[in-house]
Amino acid sequence: MRLFLSGLRKLSRRLATWVTFGLLVGLVVLIVLAVGGAVNGGVGAGNGPAATVRIQTMKEFVTFPQAYDRMLDFVLRFGGLLALLYGAAIAGSEWGWGTLKSAVARGESRVGYMLTSFASIAALIAVGLVLAYVIALVAAVVGANIAGVSTSGLNDSATIGQIPLALVRVWFSVLEEAALGFTIATLARSQLAGIGVGIAFYFGESFAGLLLPDFVQYMPFAAANAAANLSVSTPTTTDAATTAALPADQALVLVAVWLVGALLVASVFSDRAEIAG
Amino acid sequence: MSGADGLALATRGLRKSYGPRRALDGLDLSVPTGVVYGFLGPNGAGKTTTMRVLTGLIHPDGGTVEILGRPFRRGDRRRLFEVGALVESPSFYPYLSGRANLRELGASGAKVPAGRIEELLGVVGLSDRAGDKVEDYSLGMRQRLGIAAALLSDPQLLLLDEPANGLDPAGMVAIRDTLRALAAQGKTVFVSSHLLAEVQVMADVVGIIAAGKLVREGQLKDLLAMEALVKVRVQPDQVTAAIAALTALAPAEPLAESDREAGWLAVHLPAERAAEVSKTLAAVGIYVLGMESGTDLEMLFLELTGGSSAADDEGKFVGLGTNGSPSGKGTVA
Repeated sequence: MRLFLSGLRKLSRRLATWVTFGLLVGLVVLIVLAVGGAVNGGVGAGNGPAATVRIQTMKEFVTFPQAYDRMLDFVLRFGGLLALLYGAAIAGSEWGWGTLKSAVARGESRVGYMLTSFASIAALIAVGLVLAYVIALVAAVVGANIAGVSTSGLNDSATIGQIPLALVRVWFSVLEEAALGFTIATLARSQLAGIGVGIAFYFGESFAGLLLPDFVQYMPFAAANAAANLSVSTPTTTDAATTAALPADQALVLVAVWLVGALLVASVFSDRAEIAG
Repeated sequence: MSGADGLALATRGLRKSYGPRRALDGLDLSVPTGVVYGFLGPNGAGKTTTMRVLTGLIHPDGGTVEILGRPFRRGDRRRLFEVGALVESPSFYPYLSGRANLRELGASGAKVPAGRIEELLGVVGLSDRAGDKVEDYSLGMRQRLGIAAALLSDPQLLLLDEPANGLDPAGMVAIRDTLRALAAQGKTVFVSSHLLAEVQVMADVVGIIAAGKLVREGQLKDLLAMEALVKVRVQPDQVTAAIAALTALAPAEPLAESDREAGWLAVHLPAERAAEVSKTLAAVGIYVLGMESGTDLEMLFLELTGGSSAADDEGKFVGLGTNGSPSGKGTVA
């Protein structure tokens, strides 16, 4: 427990934690407010069916209860990428700064140290996701006012009732992505290499998804997105556009496999690694 | 706590290879309890590899390690709860203060007694800067913090790799006094260093390794007594003739030449025979320009390790081969 609490203290004082959170919140607020302004001004509306779909999609960002979904989706997708980078930064720095070495030389369990570090990351991600979601919803309300859209759906109790479970699934999915970054950086023993390879993996999978969707749906990022793809509000126009993806519950199992697998690899590598430098 | 044989640390037949290169080749160390042990060796001799093995950072290919009288094998990590270590460069979170770093490090391994962190910050002279971020620390300050970190759990055995790195003279004296005081309390201090003069004034026992093997180990005063030297300086162009004359004086012992350009030679003779050296050289028409007698850990180190040493790095010694030509070796027969 003292190692876990120490991990929380270290992470909460680290600039990377606040930069990651700031990026997530900053971007979602910026986009939602911009969407509100765009809807209000009719920017990009144009004519024809495509324009109608586009303006409808934009409206969903600031129209409740659909906005509950859109914000959750935004937190999942952008938060997942940031979590990947964050996990890589934390694990890589333990090797790069030599702090893992110091703990091991004090008799600490390598596996215990790494897993406890990840547990601290998981706890902070949970807090960060909830805060980011709340801020995103506030931004959506503001955006709705800017757009001149009614916020009458804000109190949709059926939707609100599903949010806690949906948030847990999003957290679990984001955690899987953080675990991948954590493991990649552990294998690379480097923050930069971990972040670089993590980004390449993330976008590589997205690109491969265009060519091999049936295969890529089993890959970690696609599975994470599918696992958290719970429409807490009524289905909307954009839901129908979703490409090949596993059913949410099946994807959730796959996410658990990727998460446990990634941490297992990181643990085995840490346990067997020769620590130098 | 120590073994039945009074050893705080013992290795037997320790082996470790990195690919085809043997870093440790059957290393046998015997570190008595309650001493400052100077662990010496040239660059690449295996000192750091030994430190890594002793702290569980790497695993040996063969051989055994005993720490405080009990075997230390893979999985025996808790044995390190009684060990404090500073291995290579000190490692900290740069964005945390010195005090916070010690606190977070103390969350791993053995528990840290209450008040210990402030006490140690005082011992290493960092109380005034304990609240500053480590990224703003100088090399010497990081080194001091590293020593404080090694002492965090009040260990019975202290393993320090180049603890004087980056320290100013006052800091070196303070650390030396601290380590001596720890040994006086019955704790064992194992110090790897290339600062031979520092080890000479600090250590009770020394072990010298070369090519992954122990080449000499014992009480420092005994080793130095065996290696008593008379150093004599002659005109540089008379060095060859002086070697011939002095080799006849002490034929059983190797004669070392140090600093050929300055004309310094060293003869293995006790100090009381210094006059004989002067007389022997005068008899062949060589007049002594300077003379010193006594013992020298540096010379012992060079002889045992073949001269490719840390001392070479400092430019103090240039050795000759058996034919008297520059060879990088520290002794002539």
